[in-house]
Amino acid sequence: MKTYRSWTFSDCFLLNIAIILFAFFSLGTLSARAEDQMVTVGVYENAPKIFTSESGKPAGIFIDIIENIAKDEGWNLHYVSGTWGEGLDRLGRGEIDIMPDMAYTPDREKIYAFHKVPVLSSWFEVYAPKRKKINSILDLKKKRILVLERSIQQEAFARFSNGFDLNCSLISTSDYKTMFEMVAKGEADFAVTNRFYGMMHAEKYGLENTNILFEPSDLFFAAHKSDSKHLLKAIDRHLDNLKKNPQSLYYASMKRWTSEQVRFKMPLWVDIAGFAGVGFLIMSLVVSAILKHQVKVRTQELQQENTERQVAQQRFMDIIEFLPDATFVVDQDKQVIAWNKGCEAMTGVKKEMMLGRKDYAYAEPFYGERRPTLLDLLAQPAPDVEATYTYVKRKDLKVYAECFVPQLRGGQGAYLWGVASSLYGQNGHQCGAIETIRDVTEEKLMEEALRKSEREYRELVMLANSIILRWSPEGQVTFLNEFGQRFFGYSAKEIIGQNLIGTLVSESESDGRDLRTLLKEISGDPVKFERNINENIRRNGERVWIDWTNKIVLDEQGGIKEILSIGSDITVRRHAEQQVHKLNDELQRHMDTLEQHVAERTAELAAMNEEQRAILESASTGIVLLRDRIIVRCNCKLEEIAGYAPGELIGKSTRIWYPDEETFVTNGKIVYSHMAKGETYRQEQQMARKDGSLFWVRLSLCAFDKNAPFKGAVGIIEDITERREAAEKLRKALEAAQAADRIKSAFLATMSHELRTPLNSIIGFTGIMLQGLAGPLNAEQQKQMTMVQNSSRHLLSLINDVLDISKIEAGQLVLTCTSFDLHTSIEKMTKLVSPLAEKKGIELQIDLPDTLAMIATDQRRLEQVILNLLNNAIKFTERGHVDISYRKENNYYLLSFSDTGIGIHGEDLPDLFQPFHQIDTGLARKREGTGLGLSISKKILDIMGGSIEVESQWGQGSTFTIRLPQQQKGTV
Amino acid sequence: MGARKHIYHPPTSTAKRYSMNNTLLIIEDNEQNLYMMRFLLERNGFIIIGAENGRKGVEIALSCKPLAILLDIQLPEMDGYAVAAELKKHSELDKVPIIAVTSYAMVGDRENILAAGATGYIEKPINPETFVAEIIEYLPTDWKNSGK
Repeated sequence: MKTYRSWTFSDCFLLNIAIILFAFFSLGTLSARAEDQMVTVGVYENAPKIFTSESGKPAGIFIDIIENIAKDEGWNLHYVSGTWGEGLDRLGRGEIDIMPDMAYTPDREKIYAFHKVPVLSSWFEVYAPKRKKINSILDLKKKRILVLERSIQQEAFARFSNGFDLNCSLISTSDYKTMFEMVAKGEADFAVTNRFYGMMHAEKYGLENTNILFEPSDLFFAAHKSDSKHLLKAIDRHLDNLKKNPQSLYYASMKRWTSEQVRFKMPLWVDIAGFAGVGFLIMSLVVSAILKHQVKVRTQELQQENTERQVAQQRFMDIIEFLPDATFVVDQDKQVIAWNKGCEAMTGVKKEMMLGRKDYAYAEPFYGERRPTLLDLLAQPAPDVEATYTYVKRKDLKVYAECFVPQLRGGQGAYLWGVASSLYGQNGHQCGAIETIRDVTEEKLMEEALRKSEREYRELVMLANSIILRWSPEGQVTFLNEFGQRFFGYSAKEIIGQNLIGTLVSESESDGRDLRTLLKEISGDPVKFERNINENIRRNGERVWIDWTNKIVLDEQGGIKEILSIGSDITVRRHAEQQVHKLNDELQRHMDTLEQHVAERTAELAAMNEEQRAILESASTGIVLLRDRIIVRCNCKLEEIAGYAPGELIGKSTRIWYPDEETFVTNGKIVYSHMAKGETYRQEQQMARKDGSLFWVRLSLCAFDKNAPFKGAVGIIEDITERREAAEKLRKALEAAQAADRIKSAFLATMSHELRTPLNSIIGFTGIMLQGLAGPLNAEQQKQMTMVQNSSRHLLSLINDVLDISKIEAGQLVLTCTSFDLHTSIEKMTKLVSPLAEKKGIELQIDLPDTLAMIATDQRRLEQVILNLLNNAIKFTERGHVDISYRKENNYYLLSFSDTGIGIHGEDLPDLFQPFHQIDTGLARKREGTGLGLSISKKILDIMGGSIEVESQWGQGSTFTIRLPQQQKGTV
Repeated sequence: MGARKHIYHPPTSTAKRYSMNNTLLIIEDNEQNLYMMRFLLERNGFIIIGAENGRKGVEIALSCKPLAILLDIQLPEMDGYAVAAELKKHSELDKVPIIAVTSYAMVGDRENILAAGATGYIEKPINPETFVAEIIEYLPTDWKNSGK
């Protein structure tokens, strides 16, 4: 393992360090006198080292330290503020005991007393506006440069600028603030400040540090020359302790006052080292300048050069050691030569473990693996680096990066900000590199939180669905959010700066309240009006009611700066409320009338109720009111038919009316589904009486409200037992009658068949015998066989007539219609009866026109009628003639059959066409016949759509006239 | 009482077609009616085969293929409608006329019988003077022409 001795930095670098540290060793022994417990300290403005805070109290690194010491020592600190020059004067006069922030110079040592352990190391930097390119000290030639009056920089700058023949005009200024302001305004070209002030304030004024640095110095508390030994010793003692402990107030204070603003700054000596080009020249000058003023000390030092070299190394190492940020240094072989306390704290890896290691060993504690770190990127060309590592930035000769390292902070991870820089030796060759790493996790998180909260606030205000308004106590609008702008109809430009009165607020409300006064009252006492409802006005003149919440925003003096008002539109609600009030009033006014109405109505209802009861009770059917299939009311008729005592049904379920549960449920579903459609459900069903016997009822059910049939329904229940029984009897009787009719038809059919079968033999064989086919007959046999034949034919016609009348009465007679000539039929029938007429000596006279007489009807049946009438006419006529004639009348044929027979008595005419009616009913009936002929003829004519009439006079003959439609109904 | 007890008259000149199929089948359960029809028809040169029930009638019709079949409707075992329907199933009897001779004279009887497959319809009581002529009217045309 290499030791510090193997360190091969160039001489130049060591020399630089030596210069920086030189002042530390050259301090003489100082004495300080502590005056009792009261210590007076001078204060001037040089933030962050020392300054007056906003609250008016002194603050800064020096103040932190002296207060820490004072606390331990029991000093009572008293501050006296002034400019730097005033402080120096006061210290010289002994008006104050201590002046902080004093750089050591031999000249000052003649006037003031210094302690030994330096508080801070600082140097001066030249600051210029950002746009100015300052590359070397020669660029300062003939410029206006501001320096702090009576400070060591003034003297030092004057000295080294003379060396370069710069001919600058140096302007003494009382404080740094004024200097930066002047440079910012262009009243001067440059300002020289210490590094602390510069790093904290330059950005604010648009200035930046140039590459020109000079006069490194150590800063002390200076004391009044006389009797301050005690004071200074105490300071030294404390400082020694504070600086040894990295957790001490010293480092905390450094961090507190510098770290926020110096994040991007390199530690001082890196700047110096990186400043090899120009810095070398400057430093040389500085060295010579310092040496000139340190002749006395230098002589001694030169004698101890080797020792000094070692001490310088050690000092350098100490500085690194106590740098607040994690810092490590490697030599040109990438071997670790420094690993400071910050590194130890951040990684937990001790210095002893790391020193002398190489091969990227330094990365392991941070990243968990050996890999190149920032300082390894220094040698690579910038574009390559930025292309490979997007989060790495390169500026000048430094490499910056911020990254998240998950292994750190016990696995929680940490954001690290790192910067690496090469170290160059005197000969310009790289002799190593340094990397500084800071844990910026807290800041990152804070920043994120701040951004978030700011964004949320902005969104809240911009997007809020409330009116957000800020206004000055004078009534001027200073802010109105987007919602408010839309609501009132003004753009931000139009409303900001306007007075509320005349824009958002009219001078008075609709009902007269003075809003000017109200505004004054609100701005006068916003607490009292924290909640306020008033009328506002939109740009279009529409009046709206807003519910406002008012908060005061105070200025720094505690006065009312603004009023913040958040409002919601309650116009609609307000109108509704007003409406409600109005209605309430009206209601109140009509109360008496109403009560009277109610009384009247109650009486009416009572009367109606009584009427209803009377109707219910007098009804002849059962009436029931149901709710949820429970009987809530019913009349006495229902109780009577169901067999219950009065009142017994009330409260019972209709289940009692059903023989079983299943019927109850099934029927209920059907009934209620009908009622839900708004229908009246009607049904005949069986219902159980109290004694369990079933009886038939007609049920009608209707819901009061079809949407809720279970809430109420009215039912009418009618006992239909008797009616059903009667209907049942009727049905049975009808069935019996129909059955009888069927039997009758069957009987007739059988009769027809059974009677004809024997007749077939009788008529057949009689005919055969009369024909002589079975052998010849004598006269008497011939005569008797003819009688048999006549009787059997008569029997057949009787059977045919009886069957005809039966068929007609059973409605079984069906006409078979055809179209034929009426003449032909009449002649045919006349021919049939002519033998009989000839026999009786009666003349048949037919009087027909020559034209055809076409008729469409049942030919066989019509001929049956004609034959019947002709037979009758001949049968009842003893002498004279029978005339047949016809004529056409409209679409009817009228056929007349006139005879010269016995005629008919007037009283017999009405019964003439009744069945089985033969006028001559005596036992000695002269004329055979069934008496069915006319009856059948009339019925056939009726079916044909015709009719028959008779005219007769007893003893004078008769005329029967039939009337026939030419066209049978239903035929063509 | 059988056919043979009655006096038999030899065929008259109207029945002259001995060389032809002159056989008529009469399906009739009433003995007297059968006798009367046999009497009238045999006198006119026809050969008569009688069957006293429907089932027998069908058997004989299939075995001897008569010139025509005279069919009563009300019959034991198998009525006239069933007989007509059964006979219609046999194509060899297609040209054999079926003449219903019946006492069924109610409305619709004639139509029902013709629908069941009968060729002709003669209502009882028959007229002995016209009966034979009516039957001949229903016989096949080739039979009627052969004698001319």
